[in-house]
Amino acid sequence: MAFWTRDRDRQPDGSGEAGRGNGANGSARVAPAADAMRAAAALWEGSEAQRRLVEGGLTGANECAQSLRQTATQAESVATSSEELASSANELAASIEEMTATATGLASSIAETSSAVEETSRSIGAVASTAADMTAAAATVAGGVTEMAASIKSVTADTENLASSVTQIAAAMEETSRSIDGVRTNSDDLAAVAEQTSRSIASMATATEQVAASAENMSGLAEQVATAVEETSRSVEGVARNAEVITRSVESAATSATELDRSMRGVAALAGEANDISRRTTRDAEEGATAIQRSLDGLDRIRSSMAESASVVKEVGKRAGEISTIVDTINLIAERTNLLSLNASIEAARAGDAGRGFAVVAEEIRNLADRSAKATADIAAIITALQSVVQDAVSSTAEGRRLADDSGRVAAEGVAGLKRILTGVEQSSAKVGQITRATEEQLAATQGLATVITTATTQIRQISGATAEQAAALQGLVRVTGQMRGAAREVSEAMGAQEQSAREITKAAQSGATLAGQVRRAMAEQATAALQVSQGVESLRRGAASTSRALAEQSAAADLIAREADGFRRRSASVSTAMSEQATAVSQIARATEDMRRQSEQTSKGLAEQARAASDIGAATHNVAKQIALITRANREQSETAGTTLETFAELQRLGERAAQQVRDAGLLRALGDRARPNVAAPGGPASRG
Amino acid sequence: MTTHAAGSESYVLFELAGATYALRSDDILQLEMVGEPTPVPNAPSWVAGVVSVRGQVIPAVSLRERFGFERGRWDLRSRLLVVRTGGRTVGLIVDSARAFARIAAEEILPVPEGVAGLSGRYLRGIAQRGERLLLVIDVPELLITEASAEESAAEGESPAPASAATPS
Repeated sequence: MAFWTRDRDRQPDGSGEAGRGNGANGSARVAPAADAMRAAAALWEGSEAQRRLVEGGLTGANECAQSLRQTATQAESVATSSEELASSANELAASIEEMTATATGLASSIAETSSAVEETSRSIGAVASTAADMTAAAATVAGGVTEMAASIKSVTADTENLASSVTQIAAAMEETSRSIDGVRTNSDDLAAVAEQTSRSIASMATATEQVAASAENMSGLAEQVATAVEETSRSVEGVARNAEVITRSVESAATSATELDRSMRGVAALAGEANDISRRTTRDAEEGATAIQRSLDGLDRIRSSMAESASVVKEVGKRAGEISTIVDTINLIAERTNLLSLNASIEAARAGDAGRGFAVVAEEIRNLADRSAKATADIAAIITALQSVVQDAVSSTAEGRRLADDSGRVAAEGVAGLKRILTGVEQSSAKVGQITRATEEQLAATQGLATVITTATTQIRQISGATAEQAAALQGLVRVTGQMRGAAREVSEAMGAQEQSAREITKAAQSGATLAGQVRRAMAEQATAALQVSQGVESLRRGAASTSRALAEQSAAADLIAREADGFRRRSASVSTAMSEQATAVSQIARATEDMRRQSEQTSKGLAEQARAASDIGAATHNVAKQIALITRANREQSETAGTTLETFAELQRLGERAAQQVRDAGLLRALGDRARPNVAAPGGPASRG
Repeated sequence: MTTHAAGSESYVLFELAGATYALRSDDILQLEMVGEPTPVPNAPSWVAGVVSVRGQVIPAVSLRERFGFERGRWDLRSRLLVVRTGGRTVGLIVDSARAFARIAAEEILPVPEGVAGLSGRYLRGIAQRGERLLLVIDVPELLITEASAEESAAEGESPAPASAATPS
């Protein structure tokens, strides 16, 4: 058996030589029939052994075909994984798109919030510095969004590159398919080159080793993909955390807005009260002005009546002077009467007793004169007192007139002051009206703010939902990449098995003809698998294209956000003066908006990271496609080798058939010999050989 | 001259510088209002001037100055007492003269020793009426004194017996 085993490679030749050698031995001294019998027996044994070998080769080829089928299955599973990866990338892209749209909505909400804040600020006008900060912050947002847009654009470019690479891969796959078809067509012809089998199988082993190396690479890449996916997962978790922070910020903004609303309602109520008060003040001031006007008229009347009484008092003084003159006259008369009576008394005394009666008369006259003198003295005193009183009355009338004049002036000043008060009240009334209007506008703005915040809350919830979906998708992706990893490992192991099989093939170089058919079938299956791979790659390309489109939309959305942010910044720049009381609330809103902006920034950052991760996934997918191409190429080489093997097996079959013919011929010879020499030690030869 | 029953005589009372004087009505011709005396050159200071009374020009003496008081002003109550003694008529200007009274001789008390002297020559005595003191004046003595100061050269010593009679 060792001899046969050693000479297996040259078996067909060996059997031919054996046939010829047997023929030569048949013509030797030993009975030719017996020789022929021995040779026939040897031939038969040889052909049996050959048949067994072919069977063994067929079994090996079968195993090889099985292994190739396994490879095809693995490639198929890789393709499926790639498809799943592509769909996951699509989902991720859609999710990012949705998120970006939500972020756009959030940004516009923030812009609306800012415009509301702007309106509030315009009304109250004291948050210029805050507005400046807001402007700077908006500029930062615009810068961040612009950076995000640039990053998304670069991702888009990468994705487009990926798409074109995938397209190229698809073309290559199609070519591969065609080439496999050609291989299958030509596989029959390849049977003729059996002697190349060994070399080909060796090269196949080499190719298989390359495939193994490629599978190793693929495994590493799958690890990278897994890492990238894990990074993406972490980033998505960060986004989720940011979304939570944003939610908290928005809630605090909602609280602030509620407080602002309450404070503004308080301001509105106060403004209404102030309006009522100024209306009442206006009415009171007008009544006061009327009262002062009435007292002015009364003062005028007092002045004229004082002038009248002054003239009356002067008249009284004049009459008193006249009376005084009359009294002087009476006094003179009284003095003269007294004088005359005294003279009469003197004469009466001189007359002695005769003048006694006359003296009495003179005495009475003198008494009368004295009384009248006394009365005139009293009258004079009264007149003097009266004149002094008149003088006092005149001076006090002058004083009263002066006082009335002063009062008139003071009242006129009071009227002027009241007019000023009226003007001031009107002005403050106008101011209060303005405040009321501003407060109403602010209330409306606050309502808008509340709506915007509600919208923002909804959008943030959508982001949270989208992030959760992303996380779920990423979980799926992680699972898929794990499967991919496992598949790659299995490919690796299969490759090892393939290597083993190739070695076994190398050992069992004389494989049977059926192996080639199996190889052909395996090739057909491979072609189908390649077609499937091609389809998978096509869907990968489509996914990449849609990813690219989604990224382009994302980019456009980011541009829109940037423009919106720019507009927001411009509007913020025009913010001016405002009421200080509400400035606190506004600054709170501004702080909340700042928080929201920061959260938006973080969301943008998270989006950028996601975009980067998506780009990594794309790159990994690209690498996977490359590896698939390598596998495909190796498969093609294997196919070629298998074709060669098939040819070799065909040749082997032909040779075997020829040998069988010879054996049949030999059997005929043996029958002839048996008939010629039935007792020649025909059984002995084969018995000793056996 | 004329003597009434119960030994009383008629007097005209006049006021001068716050004091009341009494002058016998027999010595008085009449009373007049004081006009404006016409001043005369080189007359003594107490001679206010001359006045015309019932067609007769007589000297008017300011009794205030004669008694050593300030002259004072004349008014409606001022009086000119026209007296005649020793054949001469003289006007005495006093502050006022409004009353006529009878004074008994025993009512008139002698002038105290301390006030005697120059003024003592005009005063016959002092009479009391109620709370008021009346200074009773002796007209001839008064005029004699004037005459002695003024006309001693022209007039004789006819009033001398009167002056001798007064202090008693």
